[in-house]
Amino acid sequence: MSLPLLPALAGRLFTVPPSASFGGAVEFIFTPQTSNVTGGKTVGGLSQVVELTLTQLEVTVLALALSLAVALPIGLYLGHRGKGEFLAIGIGNAGRAVPELALIALMATAIGVGVLNLTVALAVLGVPPILTNAYVGVRQVDRSSVDAARGMGMSELEILRKVEVPLAIPTIFSGIRGATIAIVATATIAPLAGVLTLGDFIINQNVYGDDGVVAGAMLVAFLALALEFSLAGLQRLLTSKGLKVSTA
Amino acid sequence: MPDPEVTDEVPSADASAVRYENATKRYGDSAEAAVERLNLEIPAGEVCVLVGPSGCGKTTAMRLVNRTVELTEGDVLLDGESVRDRDPARLRRETGYVIQQIGLFPHRTVAENIATVPHLLGWKKERIGARTAELLELIGLDPELGERYPAQLSGGQQQRVGVARALAADPLVMLMDEPFGAIDPINRERLQNEFLRLQAEIRKTVLFVTHDIDEAIKMGDRIAVMRKGGHVAQYATPAELLMAPADEFVEDFVGADRALKRLALMRVSDIDLWEAPLAHVGQATAEVRAKLRGAEVPYPLLVDSERRPLGWLSERDLAAETVAARPDSPLGPLLDLDDVMRDALADLLQGEAQYAAVADHRGRIAGVLSVEIISEFLASPQAKTEEHGAAERPH
Amino acid sequence: MTGAAALALPLAKAGEVGEGFFHERSSETLPCQATDKLFCFDWAKENIGRYGTPTVQHLELVAISVLLGFAIAFAFSLLAHRRPWLRPPLLAGTGILYTIPSIAFFFLLLPITGRGRETAIIALSAYTLQIIYRNTMIGLANVPTAVKDAARGMGLTERQILWKVELPLATPEIVAGLRIATVSTVAIATLAVFAGGGGLGTQIYGQGNINFATSIIIAGGIAILMALAFDAVLLITQRLTTPWRRGAQA
Repeated sequence: MSLPLLPALAGRLFTVPPSASFGGAVEFIFTPQTSNVTGGKTVGGLSQVVELTLTQLEVTVLALALSLAVALPIGLYLGHRGKGEFLAIGIGNAGRAVPELALIALMATAIGVGVLNLTVALAVLGVPPILTNAYVGVRQVDRSSVDAARGMGMSELEILRKVEVPLAIPTIFSGIRGATIAIVATATIAPLAGVLTLGDFIINQNVYGDDGVVAGAMLVAFLALALEFSLAGLQRLLTSKGLKVSTA
Repeated sequence: MPDPEVTDEVPSADASAVRYENATKRYGDSAEAAVERLNLEIPAGEVCVLVGPSGCGKTTAMRLVNRTVELTEGDVLLDGESVRDRDPARLRRETGYVIQQIGLFPHRTVAENIATVPHLLGWKKERIGARTAELLELIGLDPELGERYPAQLSGGQQQRVGVARALAADPLVMLMDEPFGAIDPINRERLQNEFLRLQAEIRKTVLFVTHDIDEAIKMGDRIAVMRKGGHVAQYATPAELLMAPADEFVEDFVGADRALKRLALMRVSDIDLWEAPLAHVGQATAEVRAKLRGAEVPYPLLVDSERRPLGWLSERDLAAETVAARPDSPLGPLLDLDDVMRDALADLLQGEAQYAAVADHRGRIAGVLSVEIISEFLASPQAKTEEHGAAERPH
Repeated sequence: MTGAAALALPLAKAGEVGEGFFHERSSETLPCQATDKLFCFDWAKENIGRYGTPTVQHLELVAISVLLGFAIAFAFSLLAHRRPWLRPPLLAGTGILYTIPSIAFFFLLLPITGRGRETAIIALSAYTLQIIYRNTMIGLANVPTAVKDAARGMGLTERQILWKVELPLATPEIVAGLRIATVSTVAIATLAVFAGGGGLGTQIYGQGNINFATSIIIAGGIAILMALAFDAVLLITQRLTTPWRRGAQA
């Protein structure tokens, strides 16, 4: 543990590296400028920003859709049946331990670059949170509600659809939001796999300059927050009124 | 047997009085008070039960004593000193506190739980250890259970630990809020009996809250029946409550079976039993018939040489010359002098007998009981003066 | 250009590789890369030493970040414990820090703290805040009311109740939060290379490692093992500190 950390931190807080500033970053976003780092290339500006943002968004959405298609049914099924707890929880734990940088880099090197490969890799990252949370969410539904539903003659699928899922929405959505965050974050380093997303601004500092780097960071942060916000709103829409209690 | 060295530091008769003086508790701006101008005096060494319907303020009233609920107006005096003058945390270390859900610390062993308040008070380790062992024995728990965690105990055991924990620092007053409410009926009865046995030994001042009138009658030396707002409808001994309810509210609350409830407070030995003419095997029936004239009980009872009842003699039996060894009618219900009157009546009715023989603890005939005797007794002035303390009453 | 086409265009163009992306192949790894194998055992055996410093750096990054994050999040919990009005803002605040991808966070800090280890640590700590704060609050909320009531009625002060009753009983949840935070931080700390913070990421991204599968596998493997090791240690710690959870009666 480095004790000089705190003074060093304090020191840093008060020196501003000369070539980076928030103002410069904002300018970078809106006006194309001649890069003063790699001679003469035009960088920045809204159209480039929009293009990269859309790419990131599309890749994220595709990967998320793929993860959902795979993980949600499995998680819900296992949760409903009460089987496979070790697998369901284990996958969640394992998923968190995967270093995304290694995953993308390895994929790029061993399998190849491209949108398809990237989407699959991202989907792999998105599966664990969705699966685990779907499982846990359904398991945590009050047993008496399920018993009552069964006793009333609902089929197993109906129980899942009409009782368990609605009651598990908060937990399930928490998993979806977690997956989205992981996917968006990893999509940021997608340029390493040949897919140009906003992360390009960040990674290729020698092309875009420090202003570009900060601009990229701001844009990525904004995108992530916007997605999270939308999902939160969607969750609120889908959660039945009876469940809307605030916790923690 | 408790270690004498330790018991003299645990004075048993040093129980203290609690007095409510116009104690009032009002929440927020509500016009209605949870407890309004309560005046109540609880003598030392007695179990005072606060009983009433839900929401009547009995729990609130109890909590005013250890300031887990703060007074709005008025005062509560503990051993003559106002609770307002005491620091709440210190005050609570001198009052025992037992609640319905028990609230044992799951992360501490049974022994550590019991040692909580002594620990807070800074007792030495040896003293705490001795006291813990003493209490475990007092509540009837195996000493090795002291090292277990609450989750490893049954509900009844946990409740007993809760009581021991409250008693640990030898508090002035015990506050018990529906302590046996969460236990199943069989174990509840057992716990109630054990508590009464304990109380007979240590004689604490206890403030006991319950909504169950039967529990109140069983446990209380004195009962305060409360109405909404903490208003005391009647403050009396159980017998008084049953025989002379102050108003319709108390009457309704006590229940329509007041008379039967009274029977739970008495033993067969409290009553003057009738005598049946006794007959021995081989005795001349003429003698027996002579005794029959003018006897209280019109049937002779066959007894052995030890005067132990064997059966009842019928007309047919008396037709013979001598009393046969085998009586015509079986003995039927055989009661004991120590039996609770209510149980005795139940036996009588169940046996469909008009009369039942009562034996003493050696099995020898002591008298005869009938339904008529019971109802006569209940109506007599003598019954009204019989009064046992809760711990001595049948339970 | 129709709207649909406008949307599809970026994706179609995405396959074009940007400039300055593939770093030069370093000469020392060339023999292994030339064979196009996925994992060169010989090279690995020879060069295992180069992973020593990055691993230590990585360990330090994780340890410092998690400890710092825990200290701050725990302080938040203590503040919010008796002040319910603080909870929504704290939850939202830590949530924002959690949502922002770490790599972006590194560079948001660029104008303030520049590049370097401190930047990495700040961003990594910020990421752990929500998990630890949330789990601590849940743990505290799960303490049975009866236990708190009994404690208060027996004469424990509020402070004693917090430290002797509530926090011990909340330990399982708190440690669970720590476990999640630590495992996640080990994985994310591979990105610290972008902030100039060192760590195992240097063996994946820096200096010619980017398309060298063997190194990626080794570095990634070490990271995963580290994460699992931390997880196991914390799990054992949790079991050790909660002896009362074993053998409960049915």
